Amino acid sequence: MARSTKARFVLPTRYKPEGAGSSGGFGHVTFCRDLHLDRLVAIKFIQDPAESRRLKDEFQALLTLRSKHVVQVYDLVPGPEDTVGIVEEFIPGKDLFESDIPSSLNEYLRAIWQIASGIADIHEAKIIHRDIKPNNMKFDGEGIIKIFDFGLARAEGAEAVTKNFVGTRGFAAPELYGTNTVPFSRAVDTYAFGATALYLATRNLPKNILQQPPSALADGTFRGLNLGLRSSLADLLQATMEHDPAQRPLMSTIRDKIARQLLRGKHQALTVLNGKASYLNARNRVVKLELPSVGKIEISYDMYRFKVTAVSGEVAINNKPVVVGQEIPGSCVVALGGGHRQWFQRAYVTFDVSHPEVVL
Amino acid sequence: MKGPHKKNEIVSGRYRIDGFLGEGGMQFVYRAHDLMLDRRVALKTPKNASAEKRFHRSAIVAAKVNHPNVAKTLDYLDVGDRAYLVEEYVSGSDLGQALLGHAHYIDPYLAARVFHHLVKGLAASHHVGVVHRDLKPSNVMVGGGFQLRAIKITDFGIAKLADEELTQAAEGGSDSITSSRTAVGALPYMAPEAIETPRKVALSADIWSIGAMMYELVSGKPPYGTGLKAVRAILEAKPPEFPSFVTSNAQFAPLSNSLSDLILKCLAKDAQKRPTADQLVGQCSQLYYPMVERHVGTIRTIRHNAWGFIAVDGTDVFFNFDSVYGARPGLNDRVMLSKFPGGGAHRAHPVVKLR
Repeated sequence: MARSTKARFVLPTRYKPEGAGSSGGFGHVTFCRDLHLDRLVAIKFIQDPAESRRLKDEFQALLTLRSKHVVQVYDLVPGPEDTVGIVEEFIPGKDLFESDIPSSLNEYLRAIWQIASGIADIHEAKIIHRDIKPNNMKFDGEGIIKIFDFGLARAEGAEAVTKNFVGTRGFAAPELYGTNTVPFSRAVDTYAFGATALYLATRNLPKNILQQPPSALADGTFRGLNLGLRSSLADLLQATMEHDPAQRPLMSTIRDKIARQLLRGKHQALTVLNGKASYLNARNRVVKLELPSVGKIEISYDMYRFKVTAVSGEVAINNKPVVVGQEIPGSCVVALGGGHRQWFQRAYVTFDVSHPEVVL
Repeated sequence: MKGPHKKNEIVSGRYRIDGFLGEGGMQFVYRAHDLMLDRRVALKTPKNASAEKRFHRSAIVAAKVNHPNVAKTLDYLDVGDRAYLVEEYVSGSDLGQALLGHAHYIDPYLAARVFHHLVKGLAASHHVGVVHRDLKPSNVMVGGGFQLRAIKITDFGIAKLADEELTQAAEGGSDSITSSRTAVGALPYMAPEAIETPRKVALSADIWSIGAMMYELVSGKPPYGTGLKAVRAILEAKPPEFPSFVTSNAQFAPLSNSLSDLILKCLAKDAQKRPTADQLVGQCSQLYYPMVERHVGTIRTIRHNAWGFIAVDGTDVFFNFDSVYGARPGLNDRVMLSKFPGGGAHRAHPVVKLR
């Protein structure tokens, strides 16, 4: 039906165009109402017909990808001249390029954690997005960041080469600006993630990053952000924009490091001694347990982990000898007094470590 | 296979029927393969062709809700006189089977996590003004069993559809409630006002249902029982007592107490007094629970009636009865547990007896 003429094509009747379209990446987008479900969708047509078939194959990988942070694909429709249109979830509202500077460190961390999670999911499916930037992300109605515009996406491997520069100034990694055929890897997304994280914090990018190709990011740029980032996380974010792609960290590593700071100080250990419960947490960070002339132990919360900070005498954790510096397993029993003693000469304290989950 | 389709049939040239997943009071559910997008989906079709119009309206309602804790609506189609709803497929089973099919109740750590995710999904639906109306364990899909890899509320659509039958049943009094298949399944989780004034049900009825489901998860039975007796008890809505094991163990008591407080608030007789989904999200995000893998094992030995070893995949794990939530397991009983490194053997905590 849609391919009846070459010059004109007709969308399936279930999709009724609404509002103006726009162009971006390799394609053109039409916004339509899906009359079957009475909801808005974005239909993306690939402009270069020669690309169409290969892109469809690569979209296949995208379709099997399950991520909270990637827009949902609903349908494929035939487009003009043998092209294919991809029908996607439409997210209303502003993209992250236009969004406000986060009002708190927590809000910032939640945003970049979501973006890092989405890109890590994309990489796990062996796809390179190639056009990560704030314009290609939106908060949905529930505050969940969705990455869209896979118009430039490539499967990893031998075909991941490009002859002409594609990408967006400021977010494209330096290795993409070659005159010859340029091979590239998932590290281009890592660089673009770093630039996005920098942009979201300041709503701007440094001049040398906006050059084509960009020159190196000044040392300590992320440390200099007035956000309260821990220095180890700032350094990791700084490394995402290394000139040498091999030096950039994995997105899964970045995601986990951000989560670490997001959950900093939010852990809690419940200790129970003789049926009485007490807590070890950010407000109450040290506990000392002692059975006089038998043994004693001190356990401290360093805002990330619970660790043994002092020990002497007969002490065991989960039936194992204890050393200073060791981490408390998630759940354990601290025994004061060796196994040779009578029960009334021993004391047991249970420890249960937990933390709020990053739930979106 | 059951219902109108057989295996390998292709619906609308796009969805290949791969298997029968189950049936609710109103619909057949199939596992299908989307041939166009090469992915697995859930395909639902009403049992009764006259329900078609409502089925379409309900699909539109369901499509408005978009959240990781809600099964996504992917497609809707009419083929001849049949209607189909295509939904995100969750590899797993419903909450009733996935958790309560294996255990009588679950420990508060696991329950807190279920609660948190359920209220997140419910809040998303309430934000767009959608009342589910039929929340019950069989309308929550769980991926990964006790690991809770996914928790997704489903059948928002069918709730709208079930609406009329539930309303008719409720207005017809106890007899018609207990003779309506849909109502019988939903009854233990229905708010008093959903029985008394079914046409005036608001978002707060869903809050009650979540409370009733959570009560069942931690205590092993719905708060007001099942069947005809439940109708009277729900209408009376006396705050239910929790079995003593819920809070008697000092290691579980702090979290159990927080959970039971929240559950009782959800089960307030006066709908106005129940928390909103957003308030519940706020309270659930303050709950502390560990995210640790769950295992299944068998009690291998018990010593001095105080401790023993659980065989987990051929390896012994130490346990103390202080770590048991609920009924004490006996020799050779199957249990669910988490384990932590220890000397000689790993140590189990918590331990829950399985069915």
